Amino acid sequence: MSPLELVGDFDHITEQLRASKPVASPALRERVAGLRPAEPRWTFRLPSRRLVLALAAVALLASFVAAGVTGLGGSKQTTLAGSRPGFHPTIAPRAGSATGGAAGVERALQPATPSAMSTVAPATGRIQRYDATLRLRVHDVDGLSQATQRAINLTRGLGGYVGSIDYATSGGNRGGAMLVLRVPVGKIQAELDGLTDLGTILQQRTGILDVTRRVDREAKQIAELERELAQASPQDAPAIRAHLATLRAKHARLLRSARLARIVVGLTTPPKQAAVPPSRFDRTLDDAGSVLVRELEILIYALVVAGPLLLLGAAGVATARAARRRSDRRLLERA
Amino acid sequence: MTRLRRIDAVTTEFAEAAERHLDDVHAFLVYLTGDRTVAEDLTAETFARALERWRRFDPSRGSVRAWLCQLARSTALDHFRADERRRRREGRFAAAEPREGDGPVFGEGLSPELEHALARLSAAEREVVALRVVLELEGDVAARVLGISATACSTRLSRALQKLEKEVSAGVAA
Repeated sequence: MSPLELVGDFDHITEQLRASKPVASPALRERVAGLRPAEPRWTFRLPSRRLVLALAAVALLASFVAAGVTGLGGSKQTTLAGSRPGFHPTIAPRAGSATGGAAGVERALQPATPSAMSTVAPATGRIQRYDATLRLRVHDVDGLSQATQRAINLTRGLGGYVGSIDYATSGGNRGGAMLVLRVPVGKIQAELDGLTDLGTILQQRTGILDVTRRVDREAKQIAELERELAQASPQDAPAIRAHLATLRAKHARLLRSARLARIVVGLTTPPKQAAVPPSRFDRTLDDAGSVLVRELEILIYALVVAGPLLLLGAAGVATARAARRRSDRRLLERA
Repeated sequence: MTRLRRIDAVTTEFAEAAERHLDDVHAFLVYLTGDRTVAEDLTAETFARALERWRRFDPSRGSVRAWLCQLARSTALDHFRADERRRRREGRFAAAEPREGDGPVFGEGLSPELEHALARLSAAEREVVALRVVLELEGDVAARVLGISATACSTRLSRALQKLEKEVSAGVAA
């Protein structure tokens, strides 16, 4: 039975109750009409639901703005720090070492160029010591192995020999080799041309030391000693002969070194590819995301810490309200 | 100057609301207390509280009449609590009975049987009758004023009316 139907069943009572509704006396009307607002005093008021919702929205917005601003700021800093991804300090060759301080010495230190090696060719009619350094980059370890083998074959094919080889690989995709090659000076150009075909030139250096005067001087000394030996007494002859032998050996070494050029070849694979730096937008998103995650962590932490207390408080308030309601009901039933 | 204007505006608004709903609040309190004198005092007290809290009234959460009835009920409960404490202190445990000898309590024109039957209802039963029958509030509004569910409100009203009917019938038969 609905309440309206129920009220309908008791029409005779309800009509009488409505018709006889108590009316306020004139004295009460005057009393209420005479009420005046008291001076406003500060009282603690719980914030309204709208205000709480507005504050929550503002807090949410502020957290997003903070995340965005932090993300943008972070990406800017990262951009500044990473604005020189290809920055590699270059050590300029010292002028003294490049040009040579001593007379008769020529040196050329050239940066990497994709072109073929330009060499300072030994002068004809002069006795010169020739040395060169070449750094080449090959594609991979297989290329390194092939280039090393080709350099050896080339040198041997030109009548030279390999002074030393240092070959190493790491991780199967990176490696390097250092070869010290000796080739006849007359074949130096062919050797260098062949070597530059092995890979990309990273660095090259050539040097020529003219030893013609030194060879001539030593030759004169030897001739003088031979003359002295021919005229020397039997007592002096052994000492002169020993000196002569030493000088001849030295002279022979000098001539040999002038006959064979020394070429140091360094072969290397490309350095490990650096990871592609993320774009500024990606960095901004990452930074903003991490800030939001951090904010969420703080919120969860606060909830975990304050949660039990809040639950206890809410339970206390609910219990107090229920008790109050029960007490009111009993009070009204007794009244 | 602005503050004074604001106070004037509040007073005017409140005065209009008081004029419109004074009888309703008074009737509700008469039914709730079963005592006209106490009801008058509580009505004045209710409107004094309403004036204090006038700015906190939110029209989106209900009508002025319902809000005033809630305030009136709260004021009456405070009165009952204080009265009970006082009676307990004085050692008088007997419940206060309506003063039937001083004339009609619940309204001019009620039959003596209905007047008597109303007096025999509990305050909890009389308040639901006042809200639903005398003030003709909607079921959900009355339930909100009483702080109970709409179903509980209907049940309470049903019991109260049946009890009234029974008491009136018994009175007439006698």
